[in-house]
Amino acid sequence: MPDFAEPVERLIDQLKRLPGIGAKTAQRLAFHILRIAPEDALALADAIRDAKSNMRFCSVCNNITDADPCLYCTGPTRNRKMICVVEEPHNIMAIEKTRQYSGLYHVLGGALAPLRGIGPDQLHLKSLIERLKGGAVEEIIIATNPNAEGEATAMYLSKLIKPLGVRVTRIGVGIPVGSDLEYADEVTMMKAMEGRRDL
Amino acid sequence: MPLKESEAIVLRSFPLGEGDRLVSFLDRQSGRLRGVARGARLPKSRFGSTLELLSHIRIWYFERETRDLVRINQCELIESFLDVQSDYQAGIILALVSEVTEAILGEREVADAQFRLVLLTARGVRQHGPSPVVLAYFCLWTVRLGGWLGSLDQCSRCGRAMEHEPAYFSAGSPGLLCGQCRQEWMRAISPSARMLGRQILSGTLDRLLQENPSKISSNEISSFALDILEHHMERKLVTRKLLGTGVNE
Repeated sequence: MPDFAEPVERLIDQLKRLPGIGAKTAQRLAFHILRIAPEDALALADAIRDAKSNMRFCSVCNNITDADPCLYCTGPTRNRKMICVVEEPHNIMAIEKTRQYSGLYHVLGGALAPLRGIGPDQLHLKSLIERLKGGAVEEIIIATNPNAEGEATAMYLSKLIKPLGVRVTRIGVGIPVGSDLEYADEVTMMKAMEGRRDL
Repeated sequence: MPLKESEAIVLRSFPLGEGDRLVSFLDRQSGRLRGVARGARLPKSRFGSTLELLSHIRIWYFERETRDLVRINQCELIESFLDVQSDYQAGIILALVSEVTEAILGEREVADAQFRLVLLTARGVRQHGPSPVVLAYFCLWTVRLGGWLGSLDQCSRCGRAMEHEPAYFSAGSPGLLCGQCRQEWMRAISPSARMLGRQILSGTLDRLLQENPSKISSNEISSFALDILEHHMERKLVTRKLLGTGVNE
């Protein structure tokens, strides 16, 4: 005999499929949804349905967008000589928040991860190379995560792109702002030293 | 809730929750364990680069009898292999080392020899690049340490010595078979590859690399050993298919 009525059980099962949501949290969320006003619950369902049916991948940069090409690819003020390569669409927001970068983007859809079976064929690399063949792009900024997978992807990309005569740069890696040097480990400190700049 | 301090190698980590990491590590004293490192994915994490793949670390963690997962409190880097993994092929070999080690060791099974083998292999890849010899060394020794390696010189069925003739194997068979005892579908392993196998089991990795054995024999040994490992793991290795036909070929 199930613990809850069938519709509630189904809702809990669906919520459990979300990342980071376990059985207890799914149960708590399900009962929260049952307690809230019907219009609020329906608004949540509508938002999920709208997002799922209206959002797609940009055919140029693979960002998630409601209009294809996305607003970054079509923006008249964007600098078309630079492309910033990121792993996932949500990484774009972290860069946009700085308001320091006005170039284009390219979303790889992940990073080289042998342990998860992700090799170069699973990433959007061909479309990036195609974008570079036009000759308008002068610099590629690789903004993959500063971990083993991100570094391997960055090195792989640089070997792939450099023969095309495009400048390849990597975002700075090292000590985070507001932290103390004494707590930095050897690798972080070494990366910070490697990436030092003139003042 | 006692705080334990030990030497460990990070085998794998997964994102958990908002900014945490679930880490699988090989503790030199207690075997393979899994634990949670709170806030490890945040920019100002106190763990820094210590939880990257195959990092050799000193680890402090809390353990509770009723819980499977330990709580990782602090890590200090002894040796990092992050720079090695910038090379894609080298990264695949290290990922395979990690995947095999995690799959063959049971939880809390003390494995000091495997611990030393993983470190030796990672250092070998750092020093010599993605060498097929280093991979063959790791794979064959892992099979040996698991207790799954039969004689490389004698037919396991009739006992006949096989020195200059090919031997035959399948992952499920207990050892190598001679040309007369073999089944038709069995794969051959050449005398030169078996000679390399004997050198791997009797010498050091440094000496072996100085002798510069052939890539074909090294790949033959790796393939033989990985077949046996996959048979005992009862699943295919995810990283093996990325090795392609062989490393550096």
